[in-house]
Amino acid sequence: MTRKQRRLTLIGTAGVVLATAFGLILFALYDELVFFQSPTDIALTPLPPGQRIRLGGLVEDGSVVRSDNAEVSFRVTDMENTVAVTYKGILPDLFREGQGVVTEGFVNPAGVFVADSVLAKHDENYIPKEVAEALKKQGHWQGENAAAN
Amino acid sequence: MVFWILIAVMTAVAALSVLVPLSRARRSADTPSGNADEAVYRDQLSAIEAELKRGLIEPEAAGAARTEIARRLLNAHDAHGQETGRGSRGPGLKFAQGVALVGLPAVAVGIYLLFGAPDLPDAPLSARLEAPAEEQSVDVLIARVERHLSENPEDGQGWVVIAPVYLSIGRPQESARAYAQAIRLLGPRQDWLTDMGEAMVIANQGLVPAEARQAFEQAAAMDATAVKPRFFLALALGQEGKKAEAIEAWRNLLAGAEGTEAWVGAARNELAELSGSDGPSDPGSQTPAPRGPSQEDVAASQDMSPVDRQAMIRGMVAGLAERLANEGGSASEWKQLIQAYVVLGDRQSAEKALEEAQAAYADKPEDLSSIKDVARQLGLTGS
Amino acid sequence: MIVEFGHYALVLAFALSLVQSVVPLWGALAGDDRLMAVAPPVSVTTFVMVLLSFAVLTNAYLTADFSVLNVLENSHSAKPLIYKFTGVWGNHEGSMLLWVLILVFFGALVGFFGGNLPKDLRAATLAVQGWISAGFILFLLATSNPFTRVVNPPLEGADLNPILQDIGLAIHPPLLYVGYVGFSITFSFAVAALILGRTDAAWARWVRPWTLLAWSFLTLGIAMGSYWAYYELGWGGWWFWDPVENASLMPWLAGTALLHSAIVMERREALKIWTILLAIFTFSLSLLGTFLVRSGVLTSVHAFATDPTRGVFILALLCFFIGGSLALYAWRAPALKQGGLFAPISREGALVLNNLFLTSACAAVFVGTLYPLFLDAVTGEKISVGAPFFNLTFGPLMVPLLIAVPFGPVLSWKRGDLLAASQRLYAAFGLAILMTIFTFWLWGMEKVLAPLGVGLAVWVMAGAVSEILTRVKILEIGPSRAFSRLVGLPGSAWGTTMAHFGVGLTVLGIVTASAFQEERIATMRPGDVVELSGYQLTFDGAAPRRGPNFTEEVGHFTIRQGGIFVAELDPSKRVYTARQMPTTEAAIHTTGFSQLYLSLGESRGDGAVDVRVYFKPLITLIWIGCVIMALGGAISIADRRLRVGAPKPARKRKSAAPAPAE
Repeated sequence: MTRKQRRLTLIGTAGVVLATAFGLILFALYDELVFFQSPTDIALTPLPPGQRIRLGGLVEDGSVVRSDNAEVSFRVTDMENTVAVTYKGILPDLFREGQGVVTEGFVNPAGVFVADSVLAKHDENYIPKEVAEALKKQGHWQGENAAAN
Repeated sequence: MVFWILIAVMTAVAALSVLVPLSRARRSADTPSGNADEAVYRDQLSAIEAELKRGLIEPEAAGAARTEIARRLLNAHDAHGQETGRGSRGPGLKFAQGVALVGLPAVAVGIYLLFGAPDLPDAPLSARLEAPAEEQSVDVLIARVERHLSENPEDGQGWVVIAPVYLSIGRPQESARAYAQAIRLLGPRQDWLTDMGEAMVIANQGLVPAEARQAFEQAAAMDATAVKPRFFLALALGQEGKKAEAIEAWRNLLAGAEGTEAWVGAARNELAELSGSDGPSDPGSQTPAPRGPSQEDVAASQDMSPVDRQAMIRGMVAGLAERLANEGGSASEWKQLIQAYVVLGDRQSAEKALEEAQAAYADKPEDLSSIKDVARQLGLTGS
Repeated sequence: MIVEFGHYALVLAFALSLVQSVVPLWGALAGDDRLMAVAPPVSVTTFVMVLLSFAVLTNAYLTADFSVLNVLENSHSAKPLIYKFTGVWGNHEGSMLLWVLILVFFGALVGFFGGNLPKDLRAATLAVQGWISAGFILFLLATSNPFTRVVNPPLEGADLNPILQDIGLAIHPPLLYVGYVGFSITFSFAVAALILGRTDAAWARWVRPWTLLAWSFLTLGIAMGSYWAYYELGWGGWWFWDPVENASLMPWLAGTALLHSAIVMERREALKIWTILLAIFTFSLSLLGTFLVRSGVLTSVHAFATDPTRGVFILALLCFFIGGSLALYAWRAPALKQGGLFAPISREGALVLNNLFLTSACAAVFVGTLYPLFLDAVTGEKISVGAPFFNLTFGPLMVPLLIAVPFGPVLSWKRGDLLAASQRLYAAFGLAILMTIFTFWLWGMEKVLAPLGVGLAVWVMAGAVSEILTRVKILEIGPSRAFSRLVGLPGSAWGTTMAHFGVGLTVLGIVTASAFQEERIATMRPGDVVELSGYQLTFDGAAPRRGPNFTEEVGHFTIRQGGIFVAELDPSKRVYTARQMPTTEAAIHTTGFSQLYLSLGESRGDGAVDVRVYFKPLITLIWIGCVIMALGGAISIADRRLRVGAPKPARKRKSAAPAPAE
């Protein structure tokens, strides 16, 4: 091989690897992104069944119902709309009624949100950022100022 | 003074670490930088030889590698040859000495004075707890006893000491628990049983819970002449809706009274309320109880029914709040108000009072910070 | 007073860093030996000062000095002693102080052990390190001062986040930081080399031990963090593609590429651009990680407190160091001399391929981590990029890399022979095929990818072993002579083998634990039995228990296999009293390399509890593999050849009289 050929081979290989990586990233970005939505978003534009989303809001007071086999159902609300959620598994330590929660899953044909993961973060005062902003948008955010009023 | 001397010593050490290498006579070029490269390449060569000897690489590969390394070695050697004449005495030395002697201390002390708090002593918890009692705040004293008790939970006297303190600073539940410990360890006593019951009642917003009732009954059984347990028992009967028995209990209680005791008024009120809804009232019991929040009443409140006492304190606090809101007041009055709300368990009002106090003293930083300190100790957020 | 000394020591360290960043560089550029000689002692004094301030802060934690705001906010007098100690870095200010401590520690190491370096390179490297120290100490003093005081402090602190009250906090951050921050030295070396125009094979050799050191610790730190999350969070997962995890993975990927291209640069003077750029990027990614974690742009267990000024400050530092070094590179790049030539099929070629895959994978992680932030900033749209994204991008990029790994060490330098190389790997290939078939036989055809993954892992491991065995020509000279040759191999050869073997082990653990894991979720009442992977778990009941600063509800489970007692497991739900914060404590039973993982959910009041059990086959291999990788790095560092130029100890004379027997 001449020097030029060697060079071309190397650059060619590099090009192929980089193009593959780039293609994979683009494809995955197109296909695997999970959007964050609030109950109001879902109420406005119903989801196609099977589309994965992250649903965030507050766990409605008094809505948590546990049944056997570690199944639990509750409603997620943003004070405007609510969505019924079912989940099978162990709820995070900080999952509580009236607290912020983010769940990931899809809407089943019956219109119930089937979650396969439930996140309530590591801090007792924590409301997931997305939830806080969604609530602010709805005008229901009180947050830090609540105590002073 | 000692502090600043030690600061000076630290600064001197730092400055010396710059000055000493500067002042050392420059060693001649016995280890010029070129040598370091050459050492690496020589070692690479010897490594190749060693690998070849062990048969780890093929002879021709070794040959090729050897030529390459030899070329690098020559290059390094040439580069080294050109490096003569280094080490000129430029302005750098003066600059560096100046930096070490002036710049370094100036920057360090300047920044420290900006961020530091040189006057503030350390405050390790154990030392704070061991300091002489007369220099201590109530909080520290309580913390000290608590710590002692968590280490010696079998010390009954300790529980006896702390129980009434808890009650007076608005922690009735802990007070009741402390009395219970004292009684468990030292045996029952009429006054402890009664005070424990009272603490439970206060913790229960004035209602007499069953455990408290048992305590009062036991106390009354130990000393039939004691007024306080009987007072609460009468109250409990009223709360349970046993009107006839309650009226009888109050009458018995009042019968033994001289009429001047502080609790008599409260007892008459209870009686009046009970009999008023039950039938003809006893005209003798209609004497109105003194209601104004005077100094005497504060003293008397020790013997009042907890419900009335709470009501009276609330009334006083409300009065203070009104006065401060309309006419203003001293910083210590504001602090008193905030504390009172916290003791009453009304944190929302406490926060509000804190806010108003901060607004009132916004332009007096000293008072403001003392108000903030109090708020912090009470666990208020402020905003 | 002691606290204030700590504060002053930190300020003094800042002033010293400024001296360190100016004077030696001046010396290196002007050729003044005396100015250059300032660098080592100043770097050591700076380290001593920061160490002093760290010791003072630790003392404040140990004595519960609540007049220090940092202690007040993050400690509690009833906290067990070990957590008072580790709690020093369980918060933003303290962890940044640890970060700086390690930064100046690396500076001092170069100052102390850098005697074999050319004076100008050492001076310039330490000067660059001084810039970084000055920047970060200023960050500490101005925005995150751990020595802020409180007048009239309360008597009790707010306690440490319970999630952090674990032995993991003692180990994970220091290891991770030694790795993360250790790459600052390679960055400083690269910038110094660009300033001095000294990018040659010798430079690569001087940088390599530092790269290895940082890389080994980063490997351990990531593995430890993964295991900690696995047992502490109670979710049974060992990697969540959490942005903070990614922030540590990115420098690891870039650092691994750096490690490999430094070898090429040392042997052949090729891949100079790769090496210099990777050195810059690796530390840049460490800085980016620090920014992501510390600025609060991410919500995570690692984001202790959020404060916009901190984010802006770190962002400014980030721009300064990345922008500055890249500008310097652009200015100096034309001066980089073309190095040794090589054919595409050669060890150099294989290592270029390795770099390509690692940097592409790093880019994929980078995009997945930052794209949500980017999209939020631009369109306000909230998205999350989770495991599916990374499985789809990172996974396919790793597979060809892993296939290629065994080829690298068996190809010769300059011009390799793929056929001859393959011949040396026949045995490994056969073994991999056998294991694939065996896995198919064991688990059936339903999971096609998993047995192939097992085969790939075996291929990497067997490839590493067969490389070192053929290297000593075991078939030709017989085992006994081959053994003595094995012992005589240089440390770096052993390091390569071990690190590659460790990679294979980790892959094997990942594949088996993900593909063949079994899981049961159930609500159990006392006496109930759950069956999983041949184990019977009996719930015996739950009871309350008190810890020093928490109360817990402990479930008691008995595990039997075929009716025979195996172990007892006691998972629990804790509530930490000071913060009223609940945590889940999983219970783990290890059998061989596999684990049975049991965590408790909500109790139902009538004695019933929700239970989640996993059987995770060979999961411990994930972390054992990482430990072996790090050991490989350590053995490479111990290679005598990396210490060339250091004053050699006088050789023992063989003829020396034996010591008189007594």
